[in-house]
Amino acid sequence: MDMKHMLEHHILDEVWLRLPFLNGLLPWSKHLCMMLLAASLLLIFLPLAARGNLGRTAKGLVEALVLFIRDEILEPNLGHAGRYYLGYFCTLFLFILTCNLLGLIPFGATATGNIAVTLALASTTFFLIHIAGIREQGFSHYLRSIVPAGVPVWLWPLLYPIELIGFITKAFALCIRLFANMIAGHIVILVLFGLIFVFGAVNPWVGLVVTAPASVVLVLFVMCLELFVAFLQAYIFTFLTAIFVGGAVHPH
Amino acid sequence: MEKLLSPDIGLSIWTAVTFLLLVLLLGRAAWRPLVQALEERERAMRTEREAAEAARKSAEEIKAQLDRELAQIQHKTQELLAQAQREGATQRDQVIRAAQEEALRMAEKTRIQLEEEKNRLVRELRNEVAGLSVLAAEKLLKKSMDPAVQKNALEDFFKDMGKSKLR
Repeated sequence: MDMKHMLEHHILDEVWLRLPFLNGLLPWSKHLCMMLLAASLLLIFLPLAARGNLGRTAKGLVEALVLFIRDEILEPNLGHAGRYYLGYFCTLFLFILTCNLLGLIPFGATATGNIAVTLALASTTFFLIHIAGIREQGFSHYLRSIVPAGVPVWLWPLLYPIELIGFITKAFALCIRLFANMIAGHIVILVLFGLIFVFGAVNPWVGLVVTAPASVVLVLFVMCLELFVAFLQAYIFTFLTAIFVGGAVHPH
Repeated sequence: MEKLLSPDIGLSIWTAVTFLLLVLLLGRAAWRPLVQALEERERAMRTEREAAEAARKSAEEIKAQLDRELAQIQHKTQELLAQAQREGATQRDQVIRAAQEEALRMAEKTRIQLEEEKNRLVRELRNEVAGLSVLAAEKLLKKSMDPAVQKNALEDFFKDMGKSKLR
């Protein structure tokens, strides 16, 4: 197995079969399994923790997370409207975080390191922005609030496409940011391990004695970094979604 | 590796469905009870804090009221004290003045009495002297004086007597 196959095996999705309807549109794959595993874990443990069946510590942890998202992320951006979206944002944060972390355990795969998954998450944000805007302001008022106040009417045909491109760019940036951050750490780790074999091809003893310890130390460091990035990217995705939704809910 | 940047739309659909279902289910099963409990607790805490705040405020009001009353009482006490001092001073002055007047009056009365006594004594003395003088003169005259001289002498004497009596 050469380097290319090794990389593809660890980074790319593995489609095991195509479900036999809709022209085989829906795959059954490794990343889908990891994603469903993350969702199942959340579905099993979160209700138990929220009811206090897993001890006070677990309940306190979940409460602290909910309070943080409510008071530090939603309250400054959405104000009182944030109450309606609290569950969405908590789920978003924990779903991304769990997917990120499942990619760090052995034999796991990072579903959020797949551009199709981040694309879907960014799309839900894209729709949430407009749904929240219409819900809080009403349809016509929201449509008017998309263009900045005070712009003459004859400029509107120019501004709506620009604003639409703006929305798409925001969602696209969310998609790429999460995807790239999740996959970059994995690639660096694989490259560091690959160095062992590159040097081992030159001289097996150099690869074993010199490169292997150095690589392992560096990989350990990158793993710690990835652990941090897993939390950071989940937070950033949630926080940016809150900012965008807040911009639609309170346009000024 | 070309597949890295070409999204599998089927997986996107899976993701969206999974995620939205997760939002729905977790909202029902986890977030709603948790948030309700949290808000309940926060409301209870807020109520408690407000009650404590109100109690503190009322205590402060009572304290201010008591302070005000104490200040009033002190003020009144001082006023009464000052008034008593003033009245005491007035009365003292009155007593002293009355005593002085009494003393002056008594001294004057004594002086007048003494004067009268003195005048009486002088008068008596004079009468006595006049009687003695007459007696002496009679004796002298009985002895050896001619009638003319006796007459002149007696007239002079009585003139002088009269003068001195008139004084």
